Amino acid sequence: MSQSLRPYLTAVRYSLEAALTLSNFSSQEVERHNRPEVEVSNSSAELLLQPMHISRNENEQVLIETSVNSIRVNIMVKQSDEIEQILVHKFTRFLEQRAEAFYILRRTPIKGYSISFLITNKHTESMKTDKLVDFIIEFMEEVDKEISEMKLFLNARARFVAEAYLGEFVY
Amino acid sequence: MLHLQPHNLLIQKTLTEAIEAVNNGTPLTLDRIVSDFDYTTFHISNSDEEKSTLLLSVKTKAWASVVNCGDLLSYLQSSFTKFNGIEIPSNFENGYNYTLALDLKQLDQESVVQASLLKTMIMSFPFNLSFEEFNKLSSQPAPTTEYELNNINNNAPVFKIEYRDDENIFIKPSFDRITVIFETIFQDETDKILGKVFLQEFVDARKRNRGIQSAPQVLFSHEPPLELRNLSEYSNYTDISSSKRFITFVLFPRHFANDELKFKSVVQLTLFRSYFHYHIKCSKAYLHSRMRYRVDTFVKVLNRAKVDEEEDSKDADSEQHVRRTITGRKVVY
Repeated sequence: MSQSLRPYLTAVRYSLEAALTLSNFSSQEVERHNRPEVEVSNSSAELLLQPMHISRNENEQVLIETSVNSIRVNIMVKQSDEIEQILVHKFTRFLEQRAEAFYILRRTPIKGYSISFLITNKHTESMKTDKLVDFIIEFMEEVDKEISEMKLFLNARARFVAEAYLGEFVY
Repeated sequence: MLHLQPHNLLIQKTLTEAIEAVNNGTPLTLDRIVSDFDYTTFHISNSDEEKSTLLLSVKTKAWASVVNCGDLLSYLQSSFTKFNGIEIPSNFENGYNYTLALDLKQLDQESVVQASLLKTMIMSFPFNLSFEEFNKLSSQPAPTTEYELNNINNNAPVFKIEYRDDENIFIKPSFDRITVIFETIFQDETDKILGKVFLQEFVDARKRNRGIQSAPQVLFSHEPPLELRNLSEYSNYTDISSSKRFITFVLFPRHFANDELKFKSVVQLTLFRSYFHYHIKCSKAYLHSRMRYRVDTFVKVLNRAKVDEEEDSKDADSEQHVRRTITGRKVVY
């Protein structure tokens, strides 16, 4: 693991642990509604807490938006060239289409980010908080690895295919 | 399946079946449509008069442009009639470009293979014309001045195969080489970018791998190469934003030194587009299955976070007696 990745992930881990102190909170505006306050535009500023923005570089950032009963974790995955852009886009879309298996995955990311998670007090009640944090950290590690492996595979395959085709012309 | 095969497997299989049936004395009644790459369809049917004669008709998009290049019919006739059991009927089947009449009693293995190469044979005609043109040009004294060089390059014919809706093959002979130019279009953005990776590898493969240095040189570009600038449709081509790419293969005399090599080169070249796009699709399919696997592993990690109630009750079971009432409530005693 590279030198700057470890502190980056540690910062995300501590920020998430700090943010994941959620409690059940019924809506103040609509009776019998209990909604993730981070998702609704509301007039009561006391429900929203300070968002945390952790940035490794301009391509890799995490934005944690917090509120009294829910947090939203937005991850920007590294995309250094157009192949990685395509791979990240395909991969996140693939995950989002299976969002129901992931419980905490948001179906569309927030503008400017590759993928978003929404964790509500329901989730922290039915799941262990530290394991949830583990999942997000592991996800961030694995996604980078997966994207670069896919890119390597693509280049290797292209090379093999090209050499196999041109090899037919060698007499 | 790394390489695509030039012959049509389904035609081969159908013919082999038909020959076997005729030899057993029970000729098959056939009316079969077989399709191939690049909008090509074949029709295999019994001839009206004779049960043991099959008609193999072909309809291909490339036909109209290939006929324009020269005397295609006599070329096909001379290349097919030398094989046992293949004859050319006087008139072709309605709605098809060309027809072979196959006498099943005389057909042997070699003829079956040749018949299944029908599409490749049609596509190879302009290539053969350019081999002839090359021979003509190379037998003349080599140009010494730039003027003579330009003269040769401007006067040499360009053979064009319109084998798909908007994609063509151009073949331009010169005195020391033959240039084959493919146009290709990518249907969506992903293909375009994956295609770029693949094309770059085609260009670099020859430089990197010493074993294939005698392969043709490959170039690719967004705008038409100089060889095509004389054609009216490309004289002022400015649409570089489109997804059209030009891929150039430069064949040197060693690639068509004798008839066998000529045939091998032509077969490979006619299959280039299919091969190229086929492998782009294959990589996409692989990436897809890989992502599917990765999603599963992520779900597993997330499931570790869930508080598992079953496990809790199992632990409790071992220590105490637990029973559930009909409503699911636990009774511990």
